[in-house]
Amino acid sequence: MSRKGIRLLAVLAAVSLLAVVPAVAQAKKIITISGSTSVYPLEIKLASKWIKTKKGKKYGFKILQGGSNVGISDVAKGRVSIGASSRDPANGDPGGLVFNRIARDAICIITNPSNPLGNITQDTIKKIFLGPTFTDWSQVPGAPISGGIDPIGRAATSGTHDAFRNIFLGGTNQGSFVAAKSSNGLVQQSVQTDNRGIGYVSLAFTSGVNVVNYNGVACTLRNAASFQYGGVRSFYFVTRGAPVGGVKKFIGWVTHSNKANKIIGTDWVPLH
Amino acid sequence: MRRRFGLQKAGPRNRSDQRAELLLGALACVVLALIAGMIFFVFEKAWPSFTHNGVAWFSPWAGGNADDELVAIFQSPGDPAHYVYTMHAWPLIYATVLITATAVVISTVFAVLSAMFIVEFAPAGIRRVLEPVVRLLAAVPSVIYGLIGILVVVKFFNDHLIAQSAKDSVAGVAALNGFSWGVGALILTVMITPIMIAIVVDALRSVPIGWKEGSVSLGVNRWRALWTVSVRAARPAIVAAAVLATARALGEAIMLSMVTGSVGFQPNPIDGFIFFIEPARPLAATIVDNAEGLSVTPFAQTLYAFAAVLLVSAAFLSFGGWYIRRRLRAYTLSPI
Repeated sequence: MSRKGIRLLAVLAAVSLLAVVPAVAQAKKIITISGSTSVYPLEIKLASKWIKTKKGKKYGFKILQGGSNVGISDVAKGRVSIGASSRDPANGDPGGLVFNRIARDAICIITNPSNPLGNITQDTIKKIFLGPTFTDWSQVPGAPISGGIDPIGRAATSGTHDAFRNIFLGGTNQGSFVAAKSSNGLVQQSVQTDNRGIGYVSLAFTSGVNVVNYNGVACTLRNAASFQYGGVRSFYFVTRGAPVGGVKKFIGWVTHSNKANKIIGTDWVPLH
Repeated sequence: MRRRFGLQKAGPRNRSDQRAELLLGALACVVLALIAGMIFFVFEKAWPSFTHNGVAWFSPWAGGNADDELVAIFQSPGDPAHYVYTMHAWPLIYATVLITATAVVISTVFAVLSAMFIVEFAPAGIRRVLEPVVRLLAAVPSVIYGLIGILVVVKFFNDHLIAQSAKDSVAGVAALNGFSWGVGALILTVMITPIMIAIVVDALRSVPIGWKEGSVSLGVNRWRALWTVSVRAARPAIVAAAVLATARALGEAIMLSMVTGSVGFQPNPIDGFIFFIEPARPLAATIVDNAEGLSVTPFAQTLYAFAAVLLVSAAFLSFGGWYIRRRLRAYTLSPI
């Protein structure tokens, strides 16, 4: 073998050693999570806090994103221990899954800042997003502007679309004329540039736009926590069968400890 | 092949040459196998979507609404016997063709003219700046174009180019808020023109200087010599550039997903100026927007069907390009 070949082998051997050593040294049990991009910021905070507690010390985490549906299919196939979901269980979901509710999140109706609509009722939302019965802002009670309405929503595959359909539209799909954006941020951006736009986003994406009261209640963390605000959805940790071992301990800590509640309470609604 | 390029075996076969030949051959085979495997995989996955819909999948007269159908497929019941597959994808195919064709036609004109300028007319100083800039532009990632599209171009269209009366006229049918196929085609043109310029510049440079000098010595001015001799001789390369640009345009997903409006709407040319600012969504952008739903079997199969259509179009494109190049070569004696 030439000298170059030997050198290459040596380098390869060194690299593989480096890759193996930490895995051996760690010897911690790894909990894997994949799924919803909406839940991701929350689960990162929770996991990094839990591994500092007495019970959590023995565990490590590997957390990936991908969307609610990815998480659900991953956990159903046994690829991860927890699938994170921002939508409720659906008909097409694989059997044998347990949806453990961990927190709640508010969905807000937003308009352009130049259209400071104060309040919107469920009936009006249905007339805009389903019909469309209302196509002009002058038809919307209390709207300060007139002109055509540009409804902006999410693609059918998103958890937010699913929650909006179930909570605001009474289980009916939004019309196909509604723009189907692929993320919360794109909806926020579109409403920000379009003075006639109206859209729906997670509470965390409401800067730079006008947040509309829904059925007379402001979309805030406090109103969502007290259940006065109607547009609240749940975040889930999905497991195959009832959670066991480390996963059970982790979910138990998330749903019951005061520390976890405090973390959830920063941007989301705790269960208790 | 070896003889054509004048490379003859020199003496006894060299062992390291032999080894290199084997290794490179094996690599080429791996690439071929990968491509074949990919095509097989995509078609195998896509097949149910095509068989359930037949010709209606492609037909402009099939009716139905692609977006409503996508939602229905995604919400299929879990039982495989009741999977929903109905998909009439014409609006998406139409949007793909419309955006790609517009962008390629405009950028071909731009690319040929700017390449002529760079090769023949630009002063050395400008050329030294222009060429690296063009090559740099060709390498900018598409998501950056998408961001500029959303933050600048779409906003500009919405604020300054679209009349309130135009918006009112189609309220409830399509939102004219700047997100449109026209903006998509415009930005796509900016994205693919640099690639074409780079290729055409190389082609124009490789035209034998004697050909051009010959025509100039017959009393023809520089512009005509360039147009009638160099550009003619470079036609196969222009076609090659257009094919490459079209392939990039067909597959462009992120940028188009960001600026074209996210609605499976079918822009209608008889609407006049509004036509250019109507929303649409091409196939590749539809795949990106809905990739999250891959866990639902019939939905994944439908997305693979979109991918299969793009794959076949790309294949036809290269065959078509190859055929045209061959024809042109026969008439132009091109060295390229």
